Amino acid sequence: MNLAYHDVRHRVGRFVGTSLGIALLFTVVLAMAGIYLGLVDDATILLRSMRADVWVVQQGTRGPFADASRLDPSIVSRVSALPGVTRARAFTYQVLQRAPLAREPGRSLRMALVGLDWPIDRGDGLPIVRGRALRQAHGELVADATLGLAVGDVLHFAREEFRVVGLTKQVLSSGGDAMVFGTLADAQLIADDAPSDAIRAERERRTERLRATDLGRAQPQLEALTDDPEFHPPVLPSPPIAAVLVEVDAPASADSLSRVRGALAAWPDVTAYTTREQEQLLLDGAVEKPRKQLALFSMILVITSSLLIGAVVYMMTLDKTHDIAVLKLMGASTGRLAGMVIQQAWAMGALGFAIAVAIGQQAFPHFPRRVVLTTEATLAVGALVMVISTLGSLLAIRHAIRVDAGKALEG
Amino acid sequence: MTDALRAEHIFKHFGEGDTLVRALDDVSLTLEAGHVVALLGPSGAGKSTLVKALGLVSLPDTGKIWLEGELVVDDGRLLGSLTELRKRFLGFVFQRPNLIPFLTAQQNVELACEIGETASPRKRARELLEWLEVGHRAHAMPATMSGGEQQRVAIARALANRPRLVLADEPTAALDKVRGRAVMELFQRVAREQGAAVLVVTHDHRTLDVFDELHEMEDGKLGPARAA
Repeated sequence: MNLAYHDVRHRVGRFVGTSLGIALLFTVVLAMAGIYLGLVDDATILLRSMRADVWVVQQGTRGPFADASRLDPSIVSRVSALPGVTRARAFTYQVLQRAPLAREPGRSLRMALVGLDWPIDRGDGLPIVRGRALRQAHGELVADATLGLAVGDVLHFAREEFRVVGLTKQVLSSGGDAMVFGTLADAQLIADDAPSDAIRAERERRTERLRATDLGRAQPQLEALTDDPEFHPPVLPSPPIAAVLVEVDAPASADSLSRVRGALAAWPDVTAYTTREQEQLLLDGAVEKPRKQLALFSMILVITSSLLIGAVVYMMTLDKTHDIAVLKLMGASTGRLAGMVIQQAWAMGALGFAIAVAIGQQAFPHFPRRVVLTTEATLAVGALVMVISTLGSLLAIRHAIRVDAGKALEG
Repeated sequence: MTDALRAEHIFKHFGEGDTLVRALDDVSLTLEAGHVVALLGPSGAGKSTLVKALGLVSLPDTGKIWLEGELVVDDGRLLGSLTELRKRFLGFVFQRPNLIPFLTAQQNVELACEIGETASPRKRARELLEWLEVGHRAHAMPATMSGGEQQRVAIARALANRPRLVLADEPTAALDKVRGRAVMELFQRVAREQGAAVLVVTHDHRTLDVFDELHEMEDGKLGPARAA
């Protein structure tokens, strides 16, 4: 006869109520694990979806996601000319917070804007769940669904209209910001968007610089050119890019990769990383501190859960002190008594965990940060719960073992 | 016939010096199988202490105890496993029924059968409840049963492992006169029909006619046996 089962059934309301409280703690433990996995996934999903074998970034920097990397666009052509390179694409990355939505003018959107090297990169590798990839060189964007946009929504940037043509699912930056993809030129236009007064001030600065040169003094009519938005005086560089994405002819071959990287290593102005190295840099940099913080927080929660389960099971066992004394007089073995206590702790832990998983499935999708719960992670937390329950029941088992059978004779 | 219990020169002291209390002072007692014996005496005479000592709940300081001819306590030391000895020889009935509150009447008895490793625990539990005339309450929870019904279930539980010795400490203290007498008569049936020796601590002199022997205790000393 299973005493734990009968006792739980007898006090089912109290048991479920207590398990519910414990479940809320386990929900937070699950959330911590899920947020960590979400951080890692967010940090790496863009890297994976860009399908590059090598990332070329500004020399000495750690790539566009961990650092500010600025490269001259001409590097794309230089990289393309390397033996073993099948394709090289420019890539820009910028985090913005603006209110561009035409149908909701006041609503601020925070996004990580990625420039794709049109026409060779149209975003076909992105995990698009609705709509399509880019089909025009200008005026189209693919956005992540977490921004709350719909296909066909119009966004205003830099006094121009951009239409959302595709939606991705859960493509976020390591900071949790939704990704938006446009052509390189559009991304640079949006990123460099400046108010009218700033543009006027820039034109005046250009005129002043021109007047300071012999050429400007000799040919004052050149000043009219500075009003032309397409005019860039020779001393000003083209808008920089963040990285060059390189695809090699045999990506699975270590030789092929090392040959390209070897050639790039000789260049003094760039650093090259494989996608795996970029992932590791991101995890070591952007994710490391949140990971430690989440781990510490989880540890506190685990200890709290153990103490709570321990206290609850101990109180339940204290309530049964007289019954345990009677059982001892009847000749019940220590194993049977300890089994009753530990089975109740396990049942409480298991029920709490099941409720926590159910709560999590309903609640986590509404969390502002992405919570990724894999089967492995859920099972790991489940195993942890059973360990916690076992540890929590030790004090109660000790009490049960030490109950004096003579108490049964004390009325 | 082998005695169900034999105890010789049992001593039990509490405290020391000026506060020394001789709870059991050279007590010797023999209980025959099939006999029901009353232990009488004023409060503090040592009756409950003697029941605890004979039930191996609180071992005597010195003395010997045999159960069915097997020496189980020698000079105050337990010989063998306490759990095993309780399972093999002893059944207890308390002042209050002390049924496990989260089990039905049937389950309370069945659990005792399981612990006592009785064959077919469910059948045995059912038979005992029927024998004690509470079979109709087999599926009732203790909280829904009367005091008399609970005490009958408690007796059934004490008999689950076919004990050779049943120890009852004031089992009618919480019952009215009619139910108290019914319980005492049950003990007589237990002794006669189950062949167990039954030692009952009681203050109730109105039911002494059901006992085969009476023993008086006073100041830790046990008086000689006398007929009821």
